Amino acid sequence: MASRRRMLLKVIILGDSGVGKTSLMNQYVNRKFSNQYKATIGADFLTKEVQFEDRMFTLQIWDTAGQERFQSLGVAFYRGADCCVLVYDVNVMKSFDNLNNWREEFLIQASPSDPENFPFVVLGNKIDVDGGNSRVVSEKKAKAWCAAKGNIPYFETSAKEGFNVDAAFQCIAKNALKNEPEEEIYLPDTIDVGGGGRQQTSTGCEC
Amino acid sequence: MSSSDSNSSSVDDHNPNPKPLDYQFETLNLEQGSGSTIIQNDVDEEGRQQDQGSSLNGSLNVNSNNHEQDDGIGLVRGVVLRRTNSEVEVDVNGPSSPSSSGYAGERGSSGVSEDDEIEEVANDSALHEVFDSQAAWLPGKRHVDEDDASISWRKRKKHFFILSHSGKPIYSRYGDEHKLAGFSATLQAIISFVENGGDRVKLVRAGKHQVVFLVKGPIYLVCISCTEQPYESLRGELELIYGQMILILTKSVNRCFEKNPKFDMTPLLGGTDVVFSSLIHSFSWNPATFLHAYTCLPLAYGTRQAAGAILHDVADSGVLFAILMCKHKVVSLVGAQKASLHPDDMLLLSNFIMSSESFRTSESFSPICLPRYNPMAFLYAYVRYLDVDTYLMLLTTSSDAFYHLKDCRIRIEMVLLKSNVLSEVQRSMLDGGMHVEDLPADPLSRPRSASPHFGEHQEPTDSPRRFREPFAGIGGPAGLWHFIYRSIYLEQYISSEFSAPINSPQQQKRLYRAYQKLYTSMHDKGNGAHKTQFRRDENYVLLCWVTPDFELYATFDPLADKGLAIKTCNRVCQWVKDVENEIFLLGASPFSW
Repeated sequence: MASRRRMLLKVIILGDSGVGKTSLMNQYVNRKFSNQYKATIGADFLTKEVQFEDRMFTLQIWDTAGQERFQSLGVAFYRGADCCVLVYDVNVMKSFDNLNNWREEFLIQASPSDPENFPFVVLGNKIDVDGGNSRVVSEKKAKAWCAAKGNIPYFETSAKEGFNVDAAFQCIAKNALKNEPEEEIYLPDTIDVGGGGRQQTSTGCEC
Repeated sequence: MSSSDSNSSSVDDHNPNPKPLDYQFETLNLEQGSGSTIIQNDVDEEGRQQDQGSSLNGSLNVNSNNHEQDDGIGLVRGVVLRRTNSEVEVDVNGPSSPSSSGYAGERGSSGVSEDDEIEEVANDSALHEVFDSQAAWLPGKRHVDEDDASISWRKRKKHFFILSHSGKPIYSRYGDEHKLAGFSATLQAIISFVENGGDRVKLVRAGKHQVVFLVKGPIYLVCISCTEQPYESLRGELELIYGQMILILTKSVNRCFEKNPKFDMTPLLGGTDVVFSSLIHSFSWNPATFLHAYTCLPLAYGTRQAAGAILHDVADSGVLFAILMCKHKVVSLVGAQKASLHPDDMLLLSNFIMSSESFRTSESFSPICLPRYNPMAFLYAYVRYLDVDTYLMLLTTSSDAFYHLKDCRIRIEMVLLKSNVLSEVQRSMLDGGMHVEDLPADPLSRPRSASPHFGEHQEPTDSPRRFREPFAGIGGPAGLWHFIYRSIYLEQYISSEFSAPINSPQQQKRLYRAYQKLYTSMHDKGNGAHKTQFRRDENYVLLCWVTPDFELYATFDPLADKGLAIKTCNRVCQWVKDVENEIFLLGASPFSW
């Protein structure tokens, strides 16, 4: 219950298993990278404070498991997300093809109020591998897909080398924020005891 | 703990003859041989088993030390929720060693039965000459610099969290909510995961810790505790925290979440940290939090009548409730026709007012919601302190009634001053209520009128001590240390003043915890309601007697004689009846009985 107004943004990271979701997050939050692959089981949670346009934000990052057996986590996991990050491996075509499924799955489960404009960010990870020689998804192809899905911002990243990771998350925060709805005025009813006109009142206690 | 049929023959508490209770306990004595009536020392084990039994009822009870669990628990085995930026692991599937039982913080609870408080007692008993447990407490949130990676945070014995159904933190008793965002997400994930399986998580046991969940629509409340309180008590505390939130915002806040699941309600609760921390503090000193009853300030009958009369006058002029309180005790209260005020609402309202400093300094008009009266809508509370502890609350439905209520208050204040009610209130605060040392002798051996009364100027204040019996040691007769009497139909209770040897806030807190446990076991629906209970452990003898009209909780010296203790309880009941005009608010209209 911060008296100073801080914002918390819930960010969900989705993508096939092994594309580097956890590595990206670790690079961003802890500035660490490990070559060892450890499958995420269920979900990991990280927090990171970021400053953006003179305001402090807390990113609550939900790193989900890519394996299909965890997709039952469902509705509740995605509920109330402020931004969804879709990650694929530029060296694995299947992980790119699956972006569409991840995006649709998210929209079904989270059912945001304005699905057309829900903020996604797409990250093409592992551009460092083999000096880019094993790459199978071109930047052009990825950008074309993003453009077709409502101009989703696209970043090419390397979690290993920390390339573009900060920029990507900066954009994630910015997009999450952009989608913030107008601050609604909180208007509960007043009890109507026999006859008296129904009154409306402003916010909770400001006393 | 089983009750016998013979109890039904002795429920008439209006009978001044103490024999029924004697008879009742004699019956219980006969059953002692079966081992089912007297609980000694192994109480904890028993309580634990009961909890587990009851929580199987459509709930989930995860015990990481136990691999032999039914299929319902298998649900949880699949999920491992990790925090990668810290060592906290909620790993339900983990190895069975107690040190990895999930929620970290085992170190803080090595001697749980002593509650880490032995040391504190030593320090505090010297410090607190004033036996007011509130005095030791400083308002406001502390330890804001902590988060779930801090050792100090993990060692805290009792955490409370409020979060939204999307996992966004709303309130945490300790630490900074934003830094705990990951922890909050973990809690949401656990709740949601179980919900996805069409089930509901109520309680998770992890070593000495209990994690209690309460889902209220889009609001999730969680308590993580190693205080050994029963599940029912912890859940009751979460209910009150939720009620406090409703009092500030109304339940219409749910609509915000319906429209926008990302909704962040922390700004709406801005500045109310102190209200929640004060409520949580009251869990350890205010028996109203588990008795669901309120208490009155002891006053001469005429004095309370005078206060009631003037409140009645204003209630007729469009005031829904008029309440005059001194700290957490009621002086008088009046409600409009058919309007009834729940004791929990009174608790939450007085907590809200007492914890918010601004009420003390000016007359205020504030929207508030009484969750038990109507959780969906606001009322307006006109609040004015008449002296340092005494405050008047006038509740209305009209948002433009401020000036009218101000006029009402001026009239009330004038009458109260003229009829000396306010000075009587202050005097009663100084004198205190019932002292166990003043327990009158056997009612059969003295005239009825001899009971000590409250608020009578003509008597010197120490006159009741005339009736004191000679007895050895500290406390009252027969080793009586303390009692609480709860009148069921009045929804009021009276608690005796604390005296030696229960002096420090820590000892008082421990006694209240013991009462809480007793209360829970007496109201255990699964086992059927009990009528009497006699427990002896190394700290106390606790005696509880429940009838359709009242409940009595009494504490004795651990070496107290059982027969004598029972007789003393009868005398306490008689004493309460003798002075009920002074200690209870009788015939208050808000209650429909």
